[in-house]
Amino acid sequence: MNCEVCHLKELEVEHFEIREVVRCILHTIIFHRALGLVRPKEIDLELFEITYVQCGDLEVEKKIEEKIEQFIGWVEKHPNKKSQICLSFYEVKNKQVSWFSKQMERIYWEHWHINLNVAQQPKVHSVKSHNSKVVDTGENTLEERSIRRASLEASLRDVLFQIIRFVNDKKEHVPPIPSREGVISFPYEITIPSSSDSAFGMDMIKRMLQTGHPTMLS
Amino acid sequence: MDQIVSQFLLKSLHIILDSRIPSLHPNDQRSDRHTSVSRARKNDKWFNLVLGDRPAALENLNFWHRNLMDPMIIDIILVHEGPNSSSVDAYSAIKASVETVIERWVVHYESPRVTPNINDSSLHKKIYKKLIILLRSLYSQMRLLPAYRIFRQLSSSGQTYNLNLIYKVSTFSNPFSRAEEEMMREYVFAPVEASSGRFSVAVSYRKTLSDFNLEAATSMFPRIITDYVGSPATDPLRSFPSFDKGVCATSFPLRGVGSPSSAPFQRPHSWTSGFHRPAPFTQGHSLGGSPPTYCAYGSPSPPTDMCSQRAQSYRSTSQRLNSYEEYQLSPPFSPSPSPSPPTYFSSGSVGRSRGWSETAPMTIPHPTASGNARYLSPNFSDPNRHSLPPLSPRHTRLDPSSQESASGIRSFRKPESLRSGELHSHSVNQKVTKDGRDDSGRFSGLLSSSGSPRIGFSRSSSRLSFPDDLDDGDFSCPFDVDDVDPPLVSDGREGSEFTSTSLPMGAKSQDAAVGILVDMLRRAPPLQQDSSCYSAQSLNTEQDGGVATASGFFMPRKTTDALEELRSYRDMKNLLLSKSGAHVLRKDEA
Repeated sequence: MNCEVCHLKELEVEHFEIREVVRCILHTIIFHRALGLVRPKEIDLELFEITYVQCGDLEVEKKIEEKIEQFIGWVEKHPNKKSQICLSFYEVKNKQVSWFSKQMERIYWEHWHINLNVAQQPKVHSVKSHNSKVVDTGENTLEERSIRRASLEASLRDVLFQIIRFVNDKKEHVPPIPSREGVISFPYEITIPSSSDSAFGMDMIKRMLQTGHPTMLS
Repeated sequence: MDQIVSQFLLKSLHIILDSRIPSLHPNDQRSDRHTSVSRARKNDKWFNLVLGDRPAALENLNFWHRNLMDPMIIDIILVHEGPNSSSVDAYSAIKASVETVIERWVVHYESPRVTPNINDSSLHKKIYKKLIILLRSLYSQMRLLPAYRIFRQLSSSGQTYNLNLIYKVSTFSNPFSRAEEEMMREYVFAPVEASSGRFSVAVSYRKTLSDFNLEAATSMFPRIITDYVGSPATDPLRSFPSFDKGVCATSFPLRGVGSPSSAPFQRPHSWTSGFHRPAPFTQGHSLGGSPPTYCAYGSPSPPTDMCSQRAQSYRSTSQRLNSYEEYQLSPPFSPSPSPSPPTYFSSGSVGRSRGWSETAPMTIPHPTASGNARYLSPNFSDPNRHSLPPLSPRHTRLDPSSQESASGIRSFRKPESLRSGELHSHSVNQKVTKDGRDDSGRFSGLLSSSGSPRIGFSRSSSRLSFPDDLDDGDFSCPFDVDDVDPPLVSDGREGSEFTSTSLPMGAKSQDAAVGILVDMLRRAPPLQQDSSCYSAQSLNTEQDGGVATASGFFMPRKTTDALEELRSYRDMKNLLLSKSGAHVLRKDEA
């Protein structure tokens, strides 16, 4: 089956907004892919006037929070970089490698790429400037900030619409729901850029290893 | 496959209404919704989306949506005050309420031809899976559209607003006008193809809702009319302006007041939650009681939520002012379970659920108050009041905030269970008021049927307003206010006018109020149980025990109950007199 990839619109976020934005997006995607019995949970964002839906599963919440923490840690080490969080859904298949061994293989059928551009926190030079200047920059910053905030809110809403549209348009590739209990019907993983600089490259290699020719692994 | 289709329709309707209509689930339920999945009801597990209690309205979907192939069009309507709203003059004209369709959802299972059901289970599984995804995205989308903001604000507790959201479900709809269309944006969910048809969901929504200002309604503080004097000089036989909207009648059913049948309207398959102009209510007659759908907001506070929507539209500060003033007339009334507005007071959720309509027990004083305020010119004279008795719930609607402040008549706490009871009571009412008698008839059915947990007093009072003949009650009124002419009951809309009672001029306001009350009681139809009223019940087979008990409850009450009522009235009178006596004393001393 084919693997669908969705690249979400890039969002410019400030450091303190990362958590909420990423949480919102990840949960929304998972809500549409957790096809087990779900009792939806509505969450209002604090920073924006947006309400999104969580699937209500505690495991999922925990996993997402962990990943967000890791991501924030990474961002702090690599400031001012465009980053990407990848949420992937896969199927696990047993593949007969050779006549005596089997191998678990992950077959990815969907990738979501969340593109973020974390804006660096503006350094405050107020100590040196004159008072008036400080006030000016202060006001400007505030105004800029609110403009940016508004545009981020609109962009986030667009991203959510994008997710919904993608979810609706592409339904064929979704594998049949495995008959297991629980909210999450399909295993998933969240990939954040790793510490190395060639983060994206490493991810690609990893993925290739997992889905590629089994002989590579042995 | 058919089951999938019908469940899909139900589920989508549930999703849409849940996130747009505030009155369906009052606040206190929201927190309860996130309980463990394991407690989900079996029916709720369809499409793996647990939504919580299904509004009773949904139960009746099967009745009206006969043909599964018809599109289900759900209009979300915002009721707000029109631009020509008048000033806060107590006697000003009614504020026009305008209804604007802010969202129109079309859920349709299109089947080009009738194909035999192909029971291919793997196909079904695929379709089911896709529908799950579709519904999930519908659920998310509901929260992203602009109307959700308004819904959240309206649902928040405590405040009452000048807007209200109601819905209308039908199988066809008026297309939008050009101007309206320009303001709408459309979104179509990708359809799910099935072998025998196609599921499609689409929405046209208003791009921006900033035109509607959501303001918290000012709470009306009751004012005491110190110099109220009932004036016999006013024309006692003044008739109400006819309700050209015809809606009046329709509104009743919602409330359960049964107006019902006179509300003719309608479009064959459509029902709405609120006051909708063409009043497309499916009449109870035809559906054997399914109309209750509209009012099915099964919120815990019974009648209040019933047609809450309706109530909202007619909110006008002036009216409220009026109504309260009239209430205030008799402060001593408050403690006693007077049949009036107290009904509202009782429900705690009144404030919250904006849509509370007057509850059944709204009895006598009730009509006088608000009804008069609205339609009659500034004269609080009793004769007019009398004439407005069972009035349209509209009139008698009291602002929740004012109610709460007005009195502590909390006697009628209706148990939550009446949700369905109310629903059914609507249907009962509809039957009851079949004869087209709107006024007095209005309260009867519903009031009676829904009243089981009510205090005896209220129950009886509600019964007083039975639609039937308004001959003098079996009981003799303990308050011999004056000689009472046999009430002139005009047919149809003219509101049953009670002949004027000449209240003693210059009587103290409290006495006057008592007199009015008494008079109304006297004129109210006797406490006869009209068996025909209850015949409707038999139609509602799906009604739960609520209605059944309610109706059964009333049957046995006869003269003994009337006597009891009388006694209570007498006690009330004595109480009032004693209080007023004390009041007089105090005044003298002051």
